Amino acid sequence: MHIPDGFLSPQTYLPAYAMAAGAWAWAARGLRERLDETTVPRLAMLTALAYGLGLVMVPVPGGTSGHMLGVALLAMIFGMRLAFLSYSLALLLQALLLGAGGITALPINALAMGLVGAAAAVATKTLLLRVNETAAISIAAWISVVLPGLVVALVLGIQPLIAHQPDGTPLFFPFGLEITLPAVLIPHLAIGVGEAVLTVLIWRYAKSRKWCA
Amino acid sequence: MSPRAWLVAYLLAVVAATFVHEPALLTAALAVAVAAAGRGRWKLLRRTLIAILAFNLTVSLGYAAVALWRGDFNPGYLLLVNLRVLLLVFLGMWFAARVDPIAAISGVSPSLTFVATLTLGQLRAFERIANDFTLAFASRNPAPPRLIDRTHHAAAQGIALMDKTMAAATESALAMRSRGAFDD
Repeated sequence: MHIPDGFLSPQTYLPAYAMAAGAWAWAARGLRERLDETTVPRLAMLTALAYGLGLVMVPVPGGTSGHMLGVALLAMIFGMRLAFLSYSLALLLQALLLGAGGITALPINALAMGLVGAAAAVATKTLLLRVNETAAISIAAWISVVLPGLVVALVLGIQPLIAHQPDGTPLFFPFGLEITLPAVLIPHLAIGVGEAVLTVLIWRYAKSRKWCA
Repeated sequence: MSPRAWLVAYLLAVVAATFVHEPALLTAALAVAVAAAGRGRWKLLRRTLIAILAFNLTVSLGYAAVALWRGDFNPGYLLLVNLRVLLLVFLGMWFAARVDPIAAISGVSPSLTFVATLTLGQLRAFERIANDFTLAFASRNPAPPRLIDRTHHAAAQGIALMDKTMAAATESALAMRSRGAFDD
């Protein structure tokens, strides 16, 4: 669900950078203490996996893309703060190395997929874990895709209201909420199912290898 | 220029480009960037066009369809947004081709740079292993493989990717530990 470069107004991405900077600082607090020779390889491997999953993108009509995230897995294994940081890193590398996503869209993409996605996954898993582990993991993974999709659709959909010429012609993203909400959310309802299946499979494998804390 | 200076220049150029809403100025900026990009400029431009083609085509066609239906189609918007995206992504590709991103972000946070370096190492390992598996699978299947064979292959490849990259990252982390990377 990357928003590409050039579709967000400065009125959106500059305040978003300020918000994301605060969130990154919060997430990075005590990072050094949480990294050791056992967590670092897992984090690097799963960040690379999230990077790879995010590159299989299909453009969706709402002006963004559909792809799996891998952020739920990161969040469930390492917690919300490390997941947010490492997913932001994956987004930064995608933007710098491949032009995927883009530097102006980085804070929105990071806040939506990295922070909201990770928070939703952790909260859902914590809430449902007592009921059934597989159900908790799969619903957490599904929500970690759908909720960021909603955020991305909202941010894109308000662009014509925020930045337009005097005659009403948009300056950045052209579609309003009436288009972005269904166009982004409907494909992500299905992508979330794929994410849920993949997350459960990798989660079980990670547990069998004792990668989970 | 140092990698950090390149990063700052790139970020300033990106922000400036988003404040310009005049297609002629964006065209001029694009022409300057392409000219300054050196000998690899056409390769960079081709990579840029390929990177933005799917998204911009989707948005442009979507806009044209909706705007024509509403009766407020403005070709100037299509020119503006496509030029801006082309310029921004070209600047990004140029920056990535010219500067090592890890060197540019190093110093922001040593721990983050450390994870970024290892992650990049994992990406290279992913690429190499995926390529090995693809070649091995092709060599074992002179006839087109069935769906079930592809599924088994994908599952085996996924497990091998995780195991091998984990082993490689563990080795790197242990090597760094022995050199005091985790000691403060």
